[in-house]
Amino acid sequence: TSTENKHDPHIWRLEFASHFSSLHSSIGVLKSMHVFVQDLTDELALVDVIEDKLKGEAMDLQHGSLFLKTHKIVADKDYSVTANSKVVVVTAGARQQEGESRLNLVQRNVNIFKFIIPNIMKYSPNCILLVVSNPVDILTYVAWKLSGLPRNRVIGSGTNLDSARFRYLMGEKLGIHPSSCHGWVIGEHGDSSVPVWSGVNVAGVSLQGLNPDMGTDKDKEDWKSVHKMVVDSAYEVIKLKGYTSWAIGMSVADLCESILKNLRKCHPVSTLVKGMHGVNEEVFLSVPCILGNSGLTDVVHMTLKPEEEKQLVKSAETLWGVQKELTL
Amino acid sequence: RYKLWCYFGIMASVMQKLITPLASGPAEPPRNKVTIVGVGQVGMACAVSILLRELADELALVDVVEDRLKGEMLDLQHGSLFLKTPKIVADKDYSVTANSRIVVVTAGVRQQEGESRLNLVQRNVNIFKHIIPQIVKYSPDCTLIVVSNPVDVLTYVTWKLSGLPKHRVIGSGTNLDSARFRYIMAEKLGIHSSSFNGYILGEHGDSSVPVWSGANVAGVSLQKLNPDIGTDKDSENWKEAHKMVVDSAYEVIKLKGYTNWAIGLSVADLTETLVKNLNRVHPVSTMVKGMYGIGEEVYLSLPCVLNSSGVGSVINMTLNNEEIAQLKKSADTLWGIQKDLKDL
Repeated sequence: TSTENKHDPHIWRLEFASHFSSLHSSIGVLKSMHVFVQDLTDELALVDVIEDKLKGEAMDLQHGSLFLKTHKIVADKDYSVTANSKVVVVTAGARQQEGESRLNLVQRNVNIFKFIIPNIMKYSPNCILLVVSNPVDILTYVAWKLSGLPRNRVIGSGTNLDSARFRYLMGEKLGIHPSSCHGWVIGEHGDSSVPVWSGVNVAGVSLQGLNPDMGTDKDKEDWKSVHKMVVDSAYEVIKLKGYTSWAIGMSVADLCESILKNLRKCHPVSTLVKGMHGVNEEVFLSVPCILGNSGLTDVVHMTLKPEEEKQLVKSAETLWGVQKELTL
Repeated sequence: RYKLWCYFGIMASVMQKLITPLASGPAEPPRNKVTIVGVGQVGMACAVSILLRELADELALVDVVEDRLKGEMLDLQHGSLFLKTPKIVADKDYSVTANSRIVVVTAGVRQQEGESRLNLVQRNVNIFKHIIPQIVKYSPDCTLIVVSNPVDVLTYVTWKLSGLPKHRVIGSGTNLDSARFRYIMAEKLGIHSSSFNGYILGEHGDSSVPVWSGANVAGVSLQKLNPDIGTDKDSENWKEAHKMVVDSAYEVIKLKGYTNWAIGLSVADLTETLVKNLNRVHPVSTMVKGMYGIGEEVYLSLPCVLNSSGVGSVINMTLNNEEIAQLKKSADTLWGIQKDLKDL
C-alpha cells in the first residue's frame, strides 16, 4: 500500500535536506522543523549525509507516532526516499570558519547545493523549494539557478523570522500579543534588514503617525533599538545555547502551512526582486509575498521611503557582488 | 476493599474488580468553564466552536425549553470520544452554571413584524432581568460576552443588571462585522482574510463605521494608495464592501433563515483570547463614555485588548471628524432607547 500511496497526487510530502559538516546547529534546526510541521503533512522524509544522526532522528520521531498525525516518517542518505515531495525545506550548509571570507563560505555552500538540488529535482520535479540555509538570500538564488524551477517555486525563509522577532519585541513593549502587533522587516536577512516604520501599526493605528521620530536617532522611545535587537537576536541566542532552532522551526512551519493549505497568506519571504524598488540585479530579497499551493504567486508592493529603497538597492549590489563570482 | 466485599459475601462489581481507586476526595473545580445561555442556532454554534477549539474543561448549557436543551446536551455528550471537554452539563436551573469563567449570552426574543425597536428591547430587558442576576449569583467572577441583539443596548442592560465592573462585560459587537469585512476585502484582493487588516467599529448593524484609514495589507495603507477609498467619488467603489457587510446578515437570513456559523466562530475566537490571557486586540462592544466626546453611558465597539480580566485596555483610534460624528450619533440613538427602559 505504501508504494501505491507514493503516486497518489493527494498525498503531501515534506522533506528536509541537511548536509552538514558541523552537526550541532543543523540538527537543532532540523529537530524543530519536523516537530512543528507534523500535522501539515502525511509523509515526512529526512535526508542527510551523516547516517547515524539521521537514523537516530527518524527513529526518535517514529517512536512518537502514537501522538502524531503523520502516518509515514522515512529517512535515508539516498534521495530516492524524497520522491514526490510537495515541499522541500533545505537547511543544509556549512558554517562560517574563523576568519573565513563571506565569498569563500558561500562558494563552499554552493558546492554542497550542487549535490543536493539536482538530487531533489530528480525525484520531485514539481516541488516547491523552501531555502533556510544562510546566507539565505544568496543561497535561494543559487537554489533557483541550480534547480531550473520557475521563480514562484523557489522561496527563501528570508526575513520571516526577523519580522516575527520584531513583532514579539513590539508586543512586549506594548503589552499586546504579537499577532495583534503589525510590523514588517524586509530586504536582506541579517544585519542589513530594513524595518518599514511607516507600516508599523496596532489595529490600523500607525505608530509612526503617533510618533514621527520613530526609527530615527532623535526618538526618545528608541524604537530603533527594537530593530537592533532583532538583528542581534540570533547572535545572542547562539552565544547562550549554541544555536537557534525553535523560532526558525516555527516560522518555517508557518510558511509550509500557507503553502500546503493554499491559504494565500502574506509573508515576508525572499524572492527574485529584479525590477522592484530600483533593484536591477538578479538577486533575492524579502518583500511581502502571497503564498499558496503553487508557491509564491504575488508580491505586495510596499510604499517605501527613499532611504528604505536605497538600503534595498545597496543590499542588492552587495549580493550581486558575491553572486557574480560564484561558479554555478 | 475487594477483600472486604468478599468477606461480607457480596459479589464485587466489574468496576470494583477492574479499577482500584487511589485518591478520593471532592473533585477539583473546573478552571476554564464556559456557559452558553440559549441553545438556539447561535448558542449551539458558539458551543460547538468552543468545543472544537478545546478551550473549556467544562461546558454548561442553559435554556427554558427543557426538551430541546436536553436533546442538544445529549447530542454533544455523544461526541465526547472526539472532544477534550470531559464534562458537558445542561439544566434549566442556573446552579448548573456555577464557577464559570466565561458566560456567553445568546438568549432573547426576535423582532416581530412591525414591532418598534424600543418594544423589542424592553421585552429582552425583561428576559435579561431573569437571566443576568442568576448568572452572577453562581459565577461572580465571570466575564460576560453578550451576543443577543441589539447587542450594544443589551450589553449595557447586562452591565447594569449584573453589577459587574464594566471591563468584565463585553458585547460581541462588530467582531463579526470586521471578520466579514476582512473576508470580503481579502476576496477582492485575492489573499487570505487574516492578511487583510481592517476594523469596523461603533454600533453593530446598519450604522457601523468602517475605519478606512486603518485598512492595510502588510502595513501598506489602502487609503494612501487611493485617497478616495470609502467615499462616493471612489471609482473603484470600495464603499460597496462595507455595504455588503451590513447586508450580510439579512442576505444569509433570507437564504437559510438565520446566521450561526460565523458568529459562533467569532465568539470562540474571543473566548480563546480571554481564557488564554492572550492580550489580543478585538473590535468588541465596551463602555465608551468619556471617549470621542461621548457623554452618555453607552456601549459601542472599539478595538480592545482582551485578557483574562476582560477588557484590559482600549486602542485609541485616530478617527476623522466624520467617523467621530457617526459614533456620537450612534451614542445618541442608543441613549435615546436606553433612557426609557424600565426596571434596570
